[in-house]
Amino acid sequence: MTSPSSAWLLVLAVLLPFVGMAFGLLFGGRHIQRVALTTLALGLGVIGAIALNMLGNAQGMEYLLGGFAPPLGIALRADGLSLVMLLVVAVVITLVSLYARADFPAANSGQETRAALIFWLMLLAIWGSLNLVFLSGDLFTLYVALELLTFAGVPLVALDGRGATLRAALRYLLFALLGSLLYLLGAVLLYGAYGTLDMRMLAAVVRAEPLTWAALALMTVGLLAKTALFPLHIWLPPAHAGAPAAASALLSALVVKGSWFLVLRLWLDVMPQVVTLSAAQLLAALGAAAIIVGNLVALRQQRLKLLIAYSTVAQLGYLFLMFPLIFGLALAGQDSSSALSGGMVQTVSHALAKAAMFLAAGLIYLTLGHDRIGDLRGVAQALPMTVLAFALAGASLIGLPPSGGFTAKWLLLSAALDSAQWWWALVMLLGGLMTSVYVFIIVVRSLTPAEAGWTPQKNVPQYQQIAVLCLALASFLLGLLTLLPPELALDWVQIGREPLLLLRGQTP
Amino acid sequence: MNELLFTLALALPLGLLLACFAPAVRRWMPRLLWLAPLPALLLALLPDAPAAWVVGNAHFSLHFALDMPGRILLGVAALLWTLAGLYAQGWLRLEKHGGGFVVTWLMSLTGLIGVFLAADLISFYFLLAVLSFGASGMVLQGRGSDALRAGSIYLGLALLAEAFLLAAFVLLAAATPNASLLIADAAAALPQAAQRELILALLLLGFGMKAGLVPLHFWMPLAYAAAPIPAAAVLSGAVVKASVLGLLRFLPASFAAPDFGLPLATLGLFAAFYGVAIGITQRHPKHILAYSSVSQMGFILAMIGMGLASDAAGVALAVAFYAAHHVLVKGALFLAVGVVAHSGRKHLTAIFLPAVIIALGLGGLALSGGALAKYLAKDLMGEGLAGTLAMLTSVTSSLLMLHLLHRLWLEQHQQRETHAPCGLIWPWLGMALAAVLIPWALYLTLPLGTLQQALALKSLWDGLWPVLLGGLLFLALLRAPGALPVIAPGDVIAVLRPLGQVNAALGKFGVALDNYSRRWLVATLSLVALAIAFVSLLANMVG
Repeated sequence: MTSPSSAWLLVLAVLLPFVGMAFGLLFGGRHIQRVALTTLALGLGVIGAIALNMLGNAQGMEYLLGGFAPPLGIALRADGLSLVMLLVVAVVITLVSLYARADFPAANSGQETRAALIFWLMLLAIWGSLNLVFLSGDLFTLYVALELLTFAGVPLVALDGRGATLRAALRYLLFALLGSLLYLLGAVLLYGAYGTLDMRMLAAVVRAEPLTWAALALMTVGLLAKTALFPLHIWLPPAHAGAPAAASALLSALVVKGSWFLVLRLWLDVMPQVVTLSAAQLLAALGAAAIIVGNLVALRQQRLKLLIAYSTVAQLGYLFLMFPLIFGLALAGQDSSSALSGGMVQTVSHALAKAAMFLAAGLIYLTLGHDRIGDLRGVAQALPMTVLAFALAGASLIGLPPSGGFTAKWLLLSAALDSAQWWWALVMLLGGLMTSVYVFIIVVRSLTPAEAGWTPQKNVPQYQQIAVLCLALASFLLGLLTLLPPELALDWVQIGREPLLLLRGQTP
Repeated sequence: MNELLFTLALALPLGLLLACFAPAVRRWMPRLLWLAPLPALLLALLPDAPAAWVVGNAHFSLHFALDMPGRILLGVAALLWTLAGLYAQGWLRLEKHGGGFVVTWLMSLTGLIGVFLAADLISFYFLLAVLSFGASGMVLQGRGSDALRAGSIYLGLALLAEAFLLAAFVLLAAATPNASLLIADAAAALPQAAQRELILALLLLGFGMKAGLVPLHFWMPLAYAAAPIPAAAVLSGAVVKASVLGLLRFLPASFAAPDFGLPLATLGLFAAFYGVAIGITQRHPKHILAYSSVSQMGFILAMIGMGLASDAAGVALAVAFYAAHHVLVKGALFLAVGVVAHSGRKHLTAIFLPAVIIALGLGGLALSGGALAKYLAKDLMGEGLAGTLAMLTSVTSSLLMLHLLHRLWLEQHQQRETHAPCGLIWPWLGMALAAVLIPWALYLTLPLGTLQQALALKSLWDGLWPVLLGGLLFLALLRAPGALPVIAPGDVIAVLRPLGQVNAALGKFGVALDNYSRRWLVATLSLVALAIAFVSLLANMVG
């Protein structure tokens, strides 16, 4: 697992964004954009080096901080799951930053703009804390990372300082704190029982007993509250719909994935021997409810950004369908890697597509001066590339080939049918159909020609449109990765991971 | 050479489609539309053994190949698309249109050629989706709320059908040995698949919806009437055949499943009569032609059903031949609708006569391509009840075609001197000629039969009496105007109206549930309840 010579890259991946933040604070609003973009460029290099290293050796990486092994020290570990998440976060953050250059420009003539400063600082904070979530090897560091993530997300919601967005931000903060509380409670229980919070050590000693059940249940529910899985999505629609487009893209595409990732780690890597199939079924049942209710409500929205926010509520549901599929296959003694890969592809594809959608909605808002779905006339005339991007991102959410959404759907459908859980297959197919309705409505409405003499409220720079199209294309063409030459087409998700073996004679 | 043509057949329409991103190219594109299907046409004409083309690596790759039914249908569809492309050029000059027409046209063409060539599940599904989006885009090119409604219904049903197909494909892929994704392997594995019944049902449902099988045919009259005329020609002629080819490829020839074949044949024959029954109540030629498609597609599906019921050989070729004839005739007749509408009485005869000949060909008029198609279908339908009913469809089809010609005649331009632009006339005449000649050429070169068989006295008589009988029925109908009820195009769609209310109620329920669950008290209680639920479910493992 270890490859010490280059493992310091992991530390760099976490530290670099925070160093960037420090420099940003030092130089102030006039240079913040330059600092942030430089940090991004360096960070991309680090992530790229990590990817090359892991793909080249086909194994994970581990770094022990200060050379102390757990339980005394703290470990940073990267496996296939971390790698995939590191990469997609880097890509999305980079493209969102390119887009945001126009919306949050550097202050000129010595005057700081508070919004721009906060946006770029929080962007870096989100990146750093997400990287820490993906790499951290123990449950307490993860708690810290999650808190950082929440505290970076909240200011982004309230960036424009209006009363409504402040209320939304507060709601987000309070509910997320409630979630943190539950998570911390679970972590404390575990520490009390087993004397360690290192995930790998915990996995070796954890037993199925009431205390563990309580800990796992508390931590899971706390994380679900932060992920906004239905019916715990109280804060998501106002927060994601009220924030500026670039901030919404970060929140919807990335931030909610942090706590989701932790659920995956907990269930799959720390407590696979404790998890039961029926508990996994409950997770997926919540996911299915999210898909149905989220899509139903999305269809009845009048405003584009709210529609996209509810689409996120629905799409988050897909991320939880994989749990019973993985455990169902593993309990039947079958290879469960396809279900895990399917879920990860879904995550990546949704991150890219949803960022594209929110950014597209931002451009539409600038052009029209509003985002009422009933009146999108002229959008395609003014923003042809953006409408194309929206359609491609929509196709990915629907799950049309060659998008990542299709690959994910294919893998998850196969897993559902292989593990004889056809009802999840039904939910997936139904969700795709419902999604196609609202994507269709928006695309057709924006293709309607405007009245003669109509001019856009504001002309948006070409590069913003290109950034949106890049995100959408990345999501839409993600499925083509399977056509890569065989030495690269290995299952990235499985790097540095053991096949899931459940050591019980129990039947599902 | 073949390899290059394979690449070009797909790459040329795709390349032209991508070139449409440049507005300048898009304005020029109407002049190039006829070029796009030419490599596919050449590919179908080349006499070499079926070639294959593979993209990708050993781990995962996309396969393209051409079997004989695919070759026949690809050839006639590409020909239709070429001539309709020329026609569209003339038509776009008459009617001002944005760039959307050429984009959706090329997208549909790319999808269609792709579906005809696709040899693995993934490319087939992908290109079918491209085809559906392009085709519904073409329907949307018609103007007004009718086009919007028709296009939405078209796309909705297409996506629903594809959801069934996706489920079928996933099941098929699981049942296919060696993790192969080839359609041929999947079809071969179907008879032994554990979930054979489910897969068959999903396949028939998915492809049947896309083929407009009654009672899911209502999208056809709406879409074909709303689409611009050249688009309606390729939609009704070529696009709808993708599902026919799909059924031929996925149902292995040596596989007999009477439990599915006989119901399909029954439903298909019912549709063949049903389409005529509704069709004769329609007044607009486009609606009549659409209902004729309902009827003809019903007959084609009945043939496939009879083939599925037995393990007889030669089904695929007979079906492909019948479908190819329908591609040519239906495409041509839609083109005629536009030409006649722009022609005054003075110039009408030369334009109208070919329409009479090929229209009656659908009724199996002796010496027409239709007579050959019916002759080949006869063996398949057998001697029993199905065979008799199949004979009767010739009578009813003749009736419907005479009704069509009557209504078409009434559509002529009011001013006697007007004549349609050459850009419309020549493609129409070319298409009409093709509809007469190509079935004969196919019949004799493949060969499907001999000249003696086709010209035997019995065959000629079989091609005359149904048309005469249809003529008598038509005269009787003319005598009794007002005997027929008025039925709105899309007939059964009225039944679906309550679905709108269900949808609205569901939406309201969703919003209410969402509002309720997002209250602070409810959300906090949910947190607690979920924690308790997880603990008890985790504890299950011991208990």
